[in-house]
Amino acid sequence: MSRDNVTYCLKKAGQLLFALFVLSLIVFFVSRLAPGEPLKAYYGESVEKMSFQQLENARERLGLNDSLLTQYIRWGAGALRGDFGISYIYKQPALQVVSQVYGNTALLAGTSFVLIFVLGLLLAVFCVRHEGKPVDRLICKIGVAANSIPEFFVALILILIFSVSLGILPQSGAHSLEGGGILEHLILPVSAIVVSHIWYCAYLMRSKLSEEVRREYILLCKVKGLSQRQIIWKHCMRNIFPAVVSIMAIFLPHLLGGAYIIEMVFSYPGLGKLGVESAQYHDYNMLMLVSLLTGGAVVLANMLAQVINEKLDPRFRHEEIREDRREQS
Amino acid sequence: MKKRRPYISITILVLIGAGCLLAEALGGANPYYMHTDQISQAPSALHLFGTDTLGRDVFSIIWHGGRISLIIGLLATLISTGIAILYGCVSGLAGPRIDDALMRFSEILMSVPQILLVIFLQAIWGKPGVLSIGVVIGVTSWMAVAKMVRSEVRQIRGSEYVLAAKTMGAGFFYILWNHLMPNFMPAIMFMIVTNLGSAIAAEATLSFLGLGLSVDTVSWGSLMSLSQQAMLTGAWWLLLIPGSFLVVTLICITELGEALRTANRRERLL
Repeated sequence: MSRDNVTYCLKKAGQLLFALFVLSLIVFFVSRLAPGEPLKAYYGESVEKMSFQQLENARERLGLNDSLLTQYIRWGAGALRGDFGISYIYKQPALQVVSQVYGNTALLAGTSFVLIFVLGLLLAVFCVRHEGKPVDRLICKIGVAANSIPEFFVALILILIFSVSLGILPQSGAHSLEGGGILEHLILPVSAIVVSHIWYCAYLMRSKLSEEVRREYILLCKVKGLSQRQIIWKHCMRNIFPAVVSIMAIFLPHLLGGAYIIEMVFSYPGLGKLGVESAQYHDYNMLMLVSLLTGGAVVLANMLAQVINEKLDPRFRHEEIREDRREQS
Repeated sequence: MKKRRPYISITILVLIGAGCLLAEALGGANPYYMHTDQISQAPSALHLFGTDTLGRDVFSIIWHGGRISLIIGLLATLISTGIAILYGCVSGLAGPRIDDALMRFSEILMSVPQILLVIFLQAIWGKPGVLSIGVVIGVTSWMAVAKMVRSEVRQIRGSEYVLAAKTMGAGFFYILWNHLMPNFMPAIMFMIVTNLGSAIAAEATLSFLGLGLSVDTVSWGSLMSLSQQAMLTGAWWLLLIPGSFLVVTLICITELGEALRTANRRERLL
């Protein structure tokens, strides 16, 4: 049994590494295919004043004269040793720059994730308990509307109300100048993410649950004299929980994308801001690191969800997690 | 359940669309004219929606900008739908190996948030313009639709009529166009409409962040990129007016998508 577990873990780890490898290949080659002078990103405008010989030396030193394959192998070998190259903007190892801010993103995205999970589930249960009634239809309408509003607009409205008009919450940054104040700086960004993304999860959970309450065992539960609350939380939840786990895993890339945009709007120092900056100024090493971290987190979450589901329900072993919205609702 | 048609959403969309088509008549020929003596004015009879920080009349910019927003949205949707149908059909008709590889590839692409991909490709493309933004958004948003096309194709690829067409020597594109497309189009239509909404939203986000269209080519998003500074001076109209146009359009499109989805949902057999 334990031997089985070891091979199982190895297989999962292998899949994770393979996905990351493909992702790094794609990002690397696409970014190197880009037109434009990579030296310009490194030296800024002064590149135009450099002589031919200087340019040639610089290229040689940065290894830009080698073939793409050699460059990739060199990058890959470095990455395996934890060296992801130098950020052109910060003139520091990219990993070091990232390590200063990734905590902020983790805090922002993590808080939003937990809140969306809890509130989304409660909302879904509430809707199903009142299915078809005006209150359910109203929530659905509002949810669909909130889901289709771009998150930056939600964020701006929140800033307009709470920072500009009422002046009770700060509108940018991750903490106040003296440090501290982390919570106040978190409220608005987190609310913006929750408002614009909660329906994505709540909707999927609601359709799953409303399917579940139409099963036949519900009748048996009713006959046993259980209350509606008990049936939903004890019996239905147990059955749909694997689906809920999958939903949350599928949701992660949406959440991260949203968090990155929100970071930009609130000038919140984090991975999103680094990613946008590095794309703007062609800081490829940084961009690769941010993309890999994001992709890695998502792939890891998917695998974690799969593992949890297999533990919860061994029948899952041969099923895939997929985004299938059509059959539901 | 009775199927309701989203008349209100369609009417609003038609109105906005017509307004954008007739932008010249509604908002004057040159929306970029800068009334340098009337900078950042609140809405009034002269400037219905006020003026922005450069003194441009917001009312006329809204219609001209909406045209650009809609064009980008349509272009992106067209591209993403095209890629999705081709990719999905190839994957659905191919053998298990290729199918698996193609689906894994699209899953890997899906694991990176779309906004990061868009910013990345836009940075590579260089100077952002209407064409480049449309294409970039298009090539980063086909994965979900492709997945659905694939699962639809897999359901019908064993049908007798596909087999019959194959034995008569029909090529890939012939079968795709004549046999597969008519079958899966209704099923994916709602996703295409939803994609249109998210493409418009993506363009607005991009332009708002200053990574999309520059200030001199105005769309709803880039108009709002001015609003962040303007907001501090209390110029709410710069934020709320383009924002409400954007939001109303997006909600109507979503509503339309929802209606399509319920209308074309197959009846459950079980």
